[in-house]
Amino acid sequence: MPMYQNGEVDPALKALEARQDEIMRKLYELKAAVDGLAKTVTTPDADMDVTTMPQTTTMSAFTGTADLDALLGKDPGALRDIVINANPASPPLSLLVLHGLLCQSYRVLSSVHVHSSVSSVPPQLLSCLGPRHTDSHTRQGFQLGFTLIWKDVPKVQMKFSTQSMCPIEGEANVARFLFRLLGSEPKDPIVATQLDSWVDTAFFQLAEGGSKERAAVLRSLNSALGCSIWLLGHEPSLADIVCACCILQDGQASSTPANVQRWLQACRNLEHFHCITPLLQ
Amino acid sequence: MTKEEVKGSAEEEQQEAQSKKALKKQQKEAEKAAKKAEKQAKLAADQQTTEEDDFAQDRYGVCVMMQSQEKLDRSLVRVCELTPDRAGQTVWVRARIHTSRAKGKQCFLVLRQQQFNVQALVAVGERASKQMVKFAANITKESIVDVEAVVQKVEQKIESCSQQDVELHIQRLFVVSQAEPRLPLQLEDAVRPEAEGEEEGRATVNQDTRLDNRVIDLRTTTSQAIFRLQSGVCQLFRDTLTKKGFIEIQTPKIISAASEGGANVFTVSYFKTSAYLAQSPQLYKQMCICADFDKVFCVGPVFRAEDSNTHRHLTEFVGLDIEMAFNYHYHEVINSITDTMVQIFKGLRDNFQTEIQTVCKQYPSEPFKFLEPTLRLEFTEAVALLRSAGVEMGDEEDLSTPNEKLLGRLVKEKYDTDFYVLDKYPLAVRPFYTMPDPHDPKYSNSYDMFMRGEEILSGAQRVHDAQLLTERALHHGIDLEKIKAYIDSFRYGAPPHAGGGIGLERVTMLYLGLHNVRQTSMFPRDPKRLTP
Repeated sequence: MPMYQNGEVDPALKALEARQDEIMRKLYELKAAVDGLAKTVTTPDADMDVTTMPQTTTMSAFTGTADLDALLGKDPGALRDIVINANPASPPLSLLVLHGLLCQSYRVLSSVHVHSSVSSVPPQLLSCLGPRHTDSHTRQGFQLGFTLIWKDVPKVQMKFSTQSMCPIEGEANVARFLFRLLGSEPKDPIVATQLDSWVDTAFFQLAEGGSKERAAVLRSLNSALGCSIWLLGHEPSLADIVCACCILQDGQASSTPANVQRWLQACRNLEHFHCITPLLQ
Repeated sequence: MTKEEVKGSAEEEQQEAQSKKALKKQQKEAEKAAKKAEKQAKLAADQQTTEEDDFAQDRYGVCVMMQSQEKLDRSLVRVCELTPDRAGQTVWVRARIHTSRAKGKQCFLVLRQQQFNVQALVAVGERASKQMVKFAANITKESIVDVEAVVQKVEQKIESCSQQDVELHIQRLFVVSQAEPRLPLQLEDAVRPEAEGEEEGRATVNQDTRLDNRVIDLRTTTSQAIFRLQSGVCQLFRDTLTKKGFIEIQTPKIISAASEGGANVFTVSYFKTSAYLAQSPQLYKQMCICADFDKVFCVGPVFRAEDSNTHRHLTEFVGLDIEMAFNYHYHEVINSITDTMVQIFKGLRDNFQTEIQTVCKQYPSEPFKFLEPTLRLEFTEAVALLRSAGVEMGDEEDLSTPNEKLLGRLVKEKYDTDFYVLDKYPLAVRPFYTMPDPHDPKYSNSYDMFMRGEEILSGAQRVHDAQLLTERALHHGIDLEKIKAYIDSFRYGAPPHAGGGIGLERVTMLYLGLHNVRQTSMFPRDPKRLTP
């Protein structure tokens, strides 16, 4: 049987590929579930109720600061401004949450602009980075700039140093970049891989996938969250941020399984999630 | 045979030959004359027939010069209003003959009114005679005519006209004002995109020819669009500022002393002494602030006696100037100015799209992009950006024009905006009345605004304290006597204030992405041009 018919991939082959992908994904989930179980056994307080946990302890994961010089290159003698272009039709919620975290670690000069390719933007999108910093008139007094531009772009785009770095495209990749700046990436390569996998799952299957894919992910999230409070153990991570944001953005948080709902509530209770609440109506 | 005989026969032969030639010549001439006579006879006959059987002779002609002899109650329809809705209606239209093309018993005209044009047709028939068609074909281009015609829908869109769905079937045709047959430039040539002219070897019109014959050049669709848009800039500037509580003031243009030292001012004789033409209304704007007008703007001519022959310098241009008292920080003023600019850009984007597209056809350019609120960068950031791009420059060095351009490109690459503010210039490169930065004496509370990498506005918080102003003037080596009146305005209490001024021509040029400020000045003045 020819593999290609009129330049089209044979449907049987496609089906086979899909099946294999599905098996791989199930294996991943299984592994995550097993890891989760292993954590519940090894960490004594993993089954504690998140709602009763003081926020300061849940935050501890993110308060580390990274060496900006090491990450972003030598101090240029001017504000290091991260420019993010996003379409107002689909606000990048996870990046707003990460912005909140960056503000806890650094002095960040945040500003929101509307590009001329967009005619109007709802007011909650203009105030999504919080009130303007009182010192915003002196740009040099800040460690980082976070410039969000609402623009007619197909995909979220991030520009930092246009001369030495190409633009980063896609919310997932920008989220990874911003998360690195927090200096709280998992050191364990296995956990780091899991985190990466959750980020992909969130954007490819939750945000862009069909209803069946979504349902499958929700099921696996539910089972993962059945064995640990957060997706990667006892501390919230980028995995929680992106998965939660993708579910919240869809507006169907209430029809999710029980563990997922409990976890979503826990996420929304985190201080840095508060900024997206006005955008979820 | 004698020698003479030989000679004689030779001569005879020669004569014979000559006479043969002459004969032929004569014959030819006779033929020509006969043809001419025939032609004349025919013409006469034609004329006779004209006189005899031109049934349409009162349907066309050249009008007597209009001296308001009579007040006709006839309403004229504008070319832009000729749409399929009017199909079947008989209308009167006044327009120019844009082009005419006779073909047998028909004559096609394109009638133009401002940036709109429509096809019209005179054809031999019930309403028009052969003579009328001939008359129509002979009207010189650019003449103004009154036509009575029936609006007809057309099967195929007329691509070459702005009114593509209808044409006019002319019933009456009168010339109101005739143009001379030889035009100094052809309108089609004047709107041809440069690239097309070069590729196809077709004519384009050079700038001096355009400017020498500005009246005709201004009739082109491109010029019509440019100056309509420019009027929009002024209108939006006034409207936005008025809404913000500014009042418009008028300032004198003949002044006694140059505001910024003696350079670059035109001297004019003033009775027994001499005076200067104002370089900027700044002093007067500031005096209005001291007189408690709070927020003022003015629109008027400013003069610069700079002998620079560049694409962006004029010796006289229209300044749009703003001065404003602020409460606590001069950024209040920057925000007011940038918001005004953004409102202008938005107004142009939303209400002048046809004009922008028209200009783009001849001078293609990227649409103007901007951010709201406007991006504000600081001078040190600009220096860092330029240095990272390989430019070597000192901390307190002013930006050179090429560096401004480069910076514009770098900023556009990162922020995708054609408009931004550069704040906190080094004190050393700004005029004496600029307020120094409170934290770093090397810098100042001053700013420039850029469009497509070219400076359009320069402004600052002004020193409003007579004492400090005197010190700053002395530091710059300025003769205090000459600016006494200026310093004295601040002796009786002056509100903190800031401002700036933009050039109307430059803003129009840069918004449209044109390459020469003379294109956006109706009658430009530069070191080499005083007329028209």
